[in-house]
Amino acid sequence: MSKIKHFIEQSWLLIVASFLFGLLIAVTNAAWSPRIERNKVEKLNHLMRGLLEEAERFEPAGELEITSSKGRKAGSSLFKAVSGSGECVGWVFNAQGPGFADKIELVIAVDKDFEKIAGFDCLASNETPGFGDKIKEQYYRNQFVGAPAGELVLVKAGDSERIDSEIVAISGATVSSEAVVRIINNSMTQIRRQMREKGLIGNGE
Amino acid sequence: MANDTNATAGVYKETLIAGLWRENPVFRLLLGMCPTLAVTAAVKPALTMGLSVIFVLFCSNIVVCLMRRLLKPHLRILMFTLTIATFVTIADLFLKAFAPVMSETLGPYVPLIIVNCIIICRAEACASKNGLAVSIIDALGMGVGFTLVLCVLAGVRELMSAGTIFEIPVFSLARTGGWFVPWAAMSMPVGAFITLGLMLGLVNVVSKKTA
Amino acid sequence: MDRLSILLMGFISIVLINNLVFTKFLGICPYLGVSGRIDMAFGMGMAVTFVVTLSGTLTWLIDHLLLMGTPLEVTRYVCFILVIAGAVQLVEMYVRKFFPSLYESFGIFLPLITTNCAILGLCLFINLWGIDNLLEAVVLSFGAGVGFTMAICIMAGIRENLNMADVPESLKGAPITLITAGLLTLAFMGFAGMVK
Repeated sequence: MSKIKHFIEQSWLLIVASFLFGLLIAVTNAAWSPRIERNKVEKLNHLMRGLLEEAERFEPAGELEITSSKGRKAGSSLFKAVSGSGECVGWVFNAQGPGFADKIELVIAVDKDFEKIAGFDCLASNETPGFGDKIKEQYYRNQFVGAPAGELVLVKAGDSERIDSEIVAISGATVSSEAVVRIINNSMTQIRRQMREKGLIGNGE
Repeated sequence: MANDTNATAGVYKETLIAGLWRENPVFRLLLGMCPTLAVTAAVKPALTMGLSVIFVLFCSNIVVCLMRRLLKPHLRILMFTLTIATFVTIADLFLKAFAPVMSETLGPYVPLIIVNCIIICRAEACASKNGLAVSIIDALGMGVGFTLVLCVLAGVRELMSAGTIFEIPVFSLARTGGWFVPWAAMSMPVGAFITLGLMLGLVNVVSKKTA
Repeated sequence: MDRLSILLMGFISIVLINNLVFTKFLGICPYLGVSGRIDMAFGMGMAVTFVVTLSGTLTWLIDHLLLMGTPLEVTRYVCFILVIAGAVQLVEMYVRKFFPSLYESFGIFLPLITTNCAILGLCLFINLWGIDNLLEAVVLSFGAGVGFTMAICIMAGIRENLNMADVPESLKGAPITLITAGLLTLAFMGFAGMVK
């Protein structure tokens, strides 16, 4: 009995404080969590709207899975882009893969038949400033807009204005450019297959 | 009586000034190095970080000061950590709710305020020994001193690496026909270490001249 | 085979490419404070490696078994720091009781480790990177410890020689150490892009 008494004497402050602090965190969280959720949705919507301008809203269309070339599995959320008149104008999904220093996370948009890429944007990346982080810049990203959603090829030199399956690498940042192309190629084929299995797009034949 | 008030006011002023220069947490005590180096690639995240640290330091100093008579010596550090972790969680939630972009830029460095040595050091060295008023002023002095260093360091690095301050262009960039070629290394870890090193050297020179 | 290569890549990447000290600025305080002598640095490194492996594993378990997907998720930081403080305390008591000679050599560093940001930082990064496999979490935590030990030993080696160098008066001590650290991070940038 005296042991319990000793225990309580020593630690009552800790117990009371834990309780009070827990309450404090719970109240703050309850007050702000709706706003935090809204921020997340808004950020994604903002990015997606930048890629598919004619889209009015984005409807969640299921969770898919992408296996990287190394066999690592990662989830991917698929969104259906719907225009003001209710027509499907494209699909958006996220994909990730290793970059130069850290993971690169992309949002990729394609047209409604999954034939052409409508663009990509970076959700998260930690590439070298001044070199690798140029993958976020418009001139590199524009090469993908309208490119065929097949196997893209990275070339060291070429015409970056011409839209085709050849992507011209950023000088000084070949690894980062390559990482983006690899992530897009890898996720593209797998997402397309899974969407066909679900009957979301035609078979293409 | 009047003498007494004067003396207290003197102590307050002394405490405030100490945090800003004489005992500046970064330049003098070499505390809180991790955030100083990690978030100073640009002024905006640095300022956000500084303000979060002021908030956490302020709240934890008050709480620690209020319960200083109840603390059991061997559970002291545990209580400090618990208090700090609580307020850091609140700061993190606040940033996520009202400044989502900043919250993302700072990433794990917001929760890492928990192990920022400045806060636990002030709790131990000041708040658990002094009255409420001194603790509050100490928190403000130390917090503002820390924020100032962060902003100066970030200002230099942002100016060198992007030609901007607070995202406002200062130098005309070579890319758009100006003269300034951005110095990308400054926004990388190298820039952080070397700039801070040179700045500490400069502070040593200045304080030797004024001493 | 694939799993093994993922683990190996993860290990190399956290030791060399994403080294916590050089790229994430974690654990700078002991890096600047303790790393004056190589044997001290090594002792500190070993203590950190031990605690980081233990707490990285424990926080991963707690995160996945208790916190994820429940409303308790908001108390993640509080839980993490308590686990670390507990782990440090436990290790200290254990080592003092069963390995007194070991305690003599690196026990003094143990209380310092609670506020070593490398440990909490690693736990947070494991959560941030979305590591969903226990073995990987263990390997990464251990790798982080090895990376820290390596960084702090290299630095101690350089500093032992710096004592003999003719450094400008105002740069002596912390400033020159920071500048050296900056040059070291440049060297370590060479490893980036190694793992694809």
